[in-house]
Amino acid sequence: MELNRRNFISLMVGGVAGLHITPLPWKLTDDIAIWTQNWPWVPVPPVGAFNKVKSVCTLCPGGCGIEVRRVDERAVKIEGRTDFPVNPGGICPVGMGGLQLLYNEDIRFTRPMKRVGPRGSGQFADISWKEALGLLGERLSGLRKAGTPEAIAAIDGNPCRSTISTLIERLLKALGSPNYLRTPSVEDTYSLVNLIMQGTEGPMAYDIENSDFILSFGSGLIDGWGSPGRMINAWGMWREPEMRGKVKVVQVEPRASNTASKADQWIPVLPGTEAALALGMAHVIIKEGLYNREFVNGFTSGFGEWSSLVMKQYSPTQSAKITGCQADEITALARAFAKSKAPVALCGRGKGTLNGSLYEFMCIQSLNALTGGLNRIGGVLVHEPLPLGPLPEVTFDEVSRAGIQKARLDQAGTPRFPYAQSLTSLFSKAVFEGKEPAVDTLLVFGGNPVHTLPDGGLFRKALRNIPFVVSFSAFRDDTAMFADLILPDHSYLEKMDESIWPAGIQYPLYALSRPVVKPLYDTQHCGDTILHLAKQMGGSIAASFPWKGYEEILKQRVKGLFDSAKGLVTYKGTNPVWKTMQKTQEVTPDYKSFDEMWNKLKSGGLWFRPAHSYGRWDTIFKTATGKFEFLSSRLQLAVQSYLRQNQADIALAGMGIGAGADAACLPHYEEVKQAFNAKDYPLTMVPYEIINIASGWIASPPHLNKTIFDDQLLKEDSFAEINPKTASQLGLKEGDLVFIESPAGRIQVRINLFDGAMPGAVFVPLGFGHIGYDEFTKGKGANPNYIISPQMDPLSGQPVWWKTPVKIIKV
Amino acid sequence: MEKKHGPAKGNSYGMVIDLDKCTGCGTCMVACSAENNLAVRPDESDKQRSITWMRLYKVTNGKEFPHAEVSYFPRPCMHCDHHTPCVSVCPATATETDYHTGIVSQIYTRCIGCRYCMAACPYHARTFNWWDGYFPKGKGLERYLSPEVSPRMRGVVEKCTFCHHRLMRAKTQAYAEERKELEEGEYITACTEACPAQAITFGDLNNPEHKVTRLAKSPYAFRLLERLGTEPKVYYISTKDWVRKLGDNYLPGEFKPISTVKAG
Repeated sequence: MELNRRNFISLMVGGVAGLHITPLPWKLTDDIAIWTQNWPWVPVPPVGAFNKVKSVCTLCPGGCGIEVRRVDERAVKIEGRTDFPVNPGGICPVGMGGLQLLYNEDIRFTRPMKRVGPRGSGQFADISWKEALGLLGERLSGLRKAGTPEAIAAIDGNPCRSTISTLIERLLKALGSPNYLRTPSVEDTYSLVNLIMQGTEGPMAYDIENSDFILSFGSGLIDGWGSPGRMINAWGMWREPEMRGKVKVVQVEPRASNTASKADQWIPVLPGTEAALALGMAHVIIKEGLYNREFVNGFTSGFGEWSSLVMKQYSPTQSAKITGCQADEITALARAFAKSKAPVALCGRGKGTLNGSLYEFMCIQSLNALTGGLNRIGGVLVHEPLPLGPLPEVTFDEVSRAGIQKARLDQAGTPRFPYAQSLTSLFSKAVFEGKEPAVDTLLVFGGNPVHTLPDGGLFRKALRNIPFVVSFSAFRDDTAMFADLILPDHSYLEKMDESIWPAGIQYPLYALSRPVVKPLYDTQHCGDTILHLAKQMGGSIAASFPWKGYEEILKQRVKGLFDSAKGLVTYKGTNPVWKTMQKTQEVTPDYKSFDEMWNKLKSGGLWFRPAHSYGRWDTIFKTATGKFEFLSSRLQLAVQSYLRQNQADIALAGMGIGAGADAACLPHYEEVKQAFNAKDYPLTMVPYEIINIASGWIASPPHLNKTIFDDQLLKEDSFAEINPKTASQLGLKEGDLVFIESPAGRIQVRINLFDGAMPGAVFVPLGFGHIGYDEFTKGKGANPNYIISPQMDPLSGQPVWWKTPVKIIKV
Repeated sequence: MEKKHGPAKGNSYGMVIDLDKCTGCGTCMVACSAENNLAVRPDESDKQRSITWMRLYKVTNGKEFPHAEVSYFPRPCMHCDHHTPCVSVCPATATETDYHTGIVSQIYTRCIGCRYCMAACPYHARTFNWWDGYFPKGKGLERYLSPEVSPRMRGVVEKCTFCHHRLMRAKTQAYAEERKELEEGEYITACTEACPAQAITFGDLNNPEHKVTRLAKSPYAFRLLERLGTEPKVYYISTKDWVRKLGDNYLPGEFKPISTVKAG
């Protein structure tokens, strides 16, 4: 065929038309599309049979019920339980992302390890359990043989009163060391207030769901305080259309947090002056006779002394001067509070991961007393602790008997700190400043003190003076990076553990988690590790730990619940406990024998007593006077015994108390004294907590990184919130890179201009700036704990972390 | 022939989010990520690249201290009923409004990655996979992936599906029990289920007995950019005027506070 113009065009047109008719290009395009969407490295989740396992979340002391959806043996999703009384269906973001803490080899220790690189480098080599326990046992036995068992110390971040904590304390006793420490938490301050004012040992139990006026002194009610599943549910309930105007929430804090923004009223006070506001309110309530006369006159002691102090020193005008609010605002608040039917005042800053100020908590609890809110519906309920079964006495030998008599390094329990249980800052200081290593071996359990202690990095520095550090952590956390030996725990979804009386709940509750999946790696339950260690060391130590496994100890403790308390092990989810317990004084157990109770507890994870007898003001207080004590006889005793040893004039100052002798044992406001010139550090740094960043021991699951705004974290920099006016005075604008410098050091952050920030203060989020964990977490942002120059809270001796003088330097 | 576009005639699944109840905790975002196999990249602070189906927006009232206030908008896909912007532009028919449920679907294997839908969506509800999901070898992250939702590959757009697989799950269950209709609450999204404040209500907007239908008629209810006429099936409730005002762009004086709305 001749190739001419006509044929050429025919061929081309025919070709184009033909191409459309043939399936070939379509098939090819389709194939290419399918091929590019089936890369072998795009994971294909295996299918299998769906099933569900009920358990309890033990990531925080909140104790929410969880239901884990699984495909065969593989956990694929965590959901909230509706048949669990703490959280009716919802859980917090950290708990929701929990599977990323289980299935992530880079943040977990998968087997025992020993350090091979320099400390902090995170270089470890695998060893066997036998070898690891051998190394530790030898070291501990060596110290005991040398007659220095007190050179063994332990720092424990597990929840208060938990069985695992009891076991760790027991191990230290059996070894012969008095140096058992706990990381500070709000529970310490709660216990102290309850002991000092009420003589009770039960936990703080707030009946908030039944309250109609919730006055929170800095508690992040929806920012992770208490049990988040319960608190946020209550919040949603208060905002139901039919509840509008019936419940009032007032938030007192210097920053427009979520709680402050979403509350009905926000009262910003200068950082650390919450106590003065409470006292100003007390002044109005007393002056106008708005207090509950029946309770105050009949069941309190020291009201005369306290009211004359309050009348003299804390009028609304005086209180306004300290707190920075308006006097009439204080008066109005006091009236509204006292005139409500069931008001309640809450204390515990932020999430309550860290301690509070003792005098401040006393002032706030006094407001509850003034309004007769103790053991009243919608107030603060007074309880006995959970009657868990006791463990047998520790067996001592000569070494341990002599060892535990030695003085604690942190001075807790001495006349200077009479009611303190554990003082980590003083411990770090003693270790850091000691010429000889005061501690040879430090055991770290369930906590991450390098990251979480608000001590200006003192603990981290003190680690240099400790030759041997052992971590029992499941995670490659910041502290584990400095450890010499790792004896890894299971992750929380792989083990049986408990949540004893979830934080703030108003009725006794014991929750038991169970393994949701079989342990993935060569890890071991920390409780069992302690038992193995004790057995291996033999002698009196082995005799102190006669149990075969951790479960046996749990069972022994739970037996106490069976013997002495009547409760239930099932909850239907139809009627919330806070409603039913109002009308219930006692419940009939839904189990007959202990075995039945134990088995139901193991599968349902729950024992609780939805009953309470309110009032009983004549019998609930266990103080010397048998009454609620504004003037604390326990404090009087403590101060007197300290006075005997010291001259009176320096004694109170020596205890850190600025007020005179007449006020020392009464709830009053103490100004935090700073040791440096205010001109050098003109700003105040206030660390704050947000619910979508885990700020304690646990790292945030990576999913949570999506929820963090880019004015909170950008690449490697976290942001400090500062008022635009303060910023313009300092010549700063949005996004500027700055150093925040305190006497203890400096951190680098970016500036976020925020109108909700109090002028003159710098707000820095907690939970960033990890040096451990993996790429999702490590090196992101700055940790304000590293520059907190720790002042000491008077009497309690705990760190004042909520207020640090700083200056800002532009990078 | 069956009409392809327009308001759903069968069920019309929709959502009401009560912003007074919402505490901004982010559990909805995490629940959504976990349920729908969203991959997390080492740097999620680049919000242009961060993949989210449910995203939380932080807003402030613009006032000075001490009157400043923050609030949050959880924003899933709006599943627009009318002229669904993404559906009308998709050249590959990779996204469709389902006539029976009102759900706007996204079919990854059809998506050619042109991102026209992202440009069309007034709500920024769609995100593009610039990379394959981040599941590095040896880390073991892929073990929590659910087989109910296929992980996406690079080059496709993804968005909220109202947890369509949960509808399938509920339907299968109903079928096994020889039922044709689903009960209220039988099918809810992961975010609805997870919200600890119970701020999210999910249900059939065509069913007058469902709570969601009642709530959507609240005088405080509004939708985002309502006047675009896309008929979103996600409603918000807020008693605060400043929050409602942020739901759309108003000329000065155009926004009517609720008191005047009631009076009018």
